[in-house]
Amino acid sequence: MTVAGGRSDRELLVAYREGGDDEARELLIERHLPLVRSLARRYANRGEPLDDLVQVGSIGLIKAIDRFDLERGVELTTYATPTIIGEIKRYFRDKGWSVRVPRGLQELSLRLSQLVDELTVQLERSPTIAELAEAADVEEEEVLEALESGQAYSAASLSTPAGEEGEPDPLEAIGELEHEYVVSEDRAILEPGLAVLDERERRIIHLRFWVGLTQSQIAQRVGISQMHVSRLIRRALEKLRDEVAPARRPGA
Amino acid sequence: MSADAITLSIPREQPYYGVARLVVGGLAARLDLSYEQLEDLQLALASVLEREGYRVGDEVTIRLLVEPGRVGLEVGPLDARVEDDLGREHDGVFLGRLLETLVDDVSLGKDRDGHWLRLEKRVPKARGEPGS
Repeated sequence: MTVAGGRSDRELLVAYREGGDDEARELLIERHLPLVRSLARRYANRGEPLDDLVQVGSIGLIKAIDRFDLERGVELTTYATPTIIGEIKRYFRDKGWSVRVPRGLQELSLRLSQLVDELTVQLERSPTIAELAEAADVEEEEVLEALESGQAYSAASLSTPAGEEGEPDPLEAIGELEHEYVVSEDRAILEPGLAVLDERERRIIHLRFWVGLTQSQIAQRVGISQMHVSRLIRRALEKLRDEVAPARRPGA
Repeated sequence: MSADAITLSIPREQPYYGVARLVVGGLAARLDLSYEQLEDLQLALASVLEREGYRVGDEVTIRLLVEPGRVGLEVGPLDARVEDDLGREHDGVFLGRLLETLVDDVSLGKDRDGHWLRLEKRVPKARGEPGS
């Protein structure tokens, strides 16, 4: 991008990265704030003030400017977009329900969480949508809607007090992982790309994608609900997408 | 029996991905998929849709193909990066490992618009199908 009469993004990046020119960095930030505003507007209808989203997105922009690799032949805007979106999404993740979900659906979602576990034990397999609908005494469409609304709920953070859905503290539970798991831990769990995950997330991801356990098996083993396992997996994968993908995007 | 197909084209923006998830959910209900199978399909779909790096244009198409004993899911067009990511072992994002855990078959095609990822999961016979 070149501003008439001014220096191009590339020239400013060179001045900042190689010459330590902080003014060039400020110019880059200012120049690309409209991109941040445009991306923040996409998320503006989810209950958070637009100004807050712009502020959070600006952190992503600054990170992108600071991390940009001059050797790569991509535009700064191409590189910055996923980083900005990643910051905004992380902000929503930290807020719990990321969109306003009607109370009734929230309750059904929590009820389904219990029913999934109960029926899995009772049937000795994962229940179908029809079975969940029958057990909850609602229509299949309502089950689907409640499951979808559950997507708006971030996995409880590690600091969440014990008792979400009446469960024990997951941190305590995960400390009781069996010895066989510990010895089966392979190099994959130490992979640098997974460094953005906390210990619990790495272990759950390891159990699912390296050991090959199903969600219900992990839930049983760790002592939390299957839906909670599902949320933890989703959150961990989101973190990986947000953190790892933008960082290596220019080299792709 | 030929495949039943559902084709959904949506803007390539986060708020619309829920529409795709609901369509997959509706299909899962019709096919009597278990909650876990539905989760696997939705997670596989999200893993592809939510990667900004795979964006090609402003729209993404999801084709759901229902054949006896399996359901196929095609997503595209996608950027060529998807091919690199599928081939990476022990990468931080490990797309290939992730998808191979979630579905039974993963393949990649290409046309003039870009790459198309095809995911396939074996399922029980759908309700209403002969022999179900």
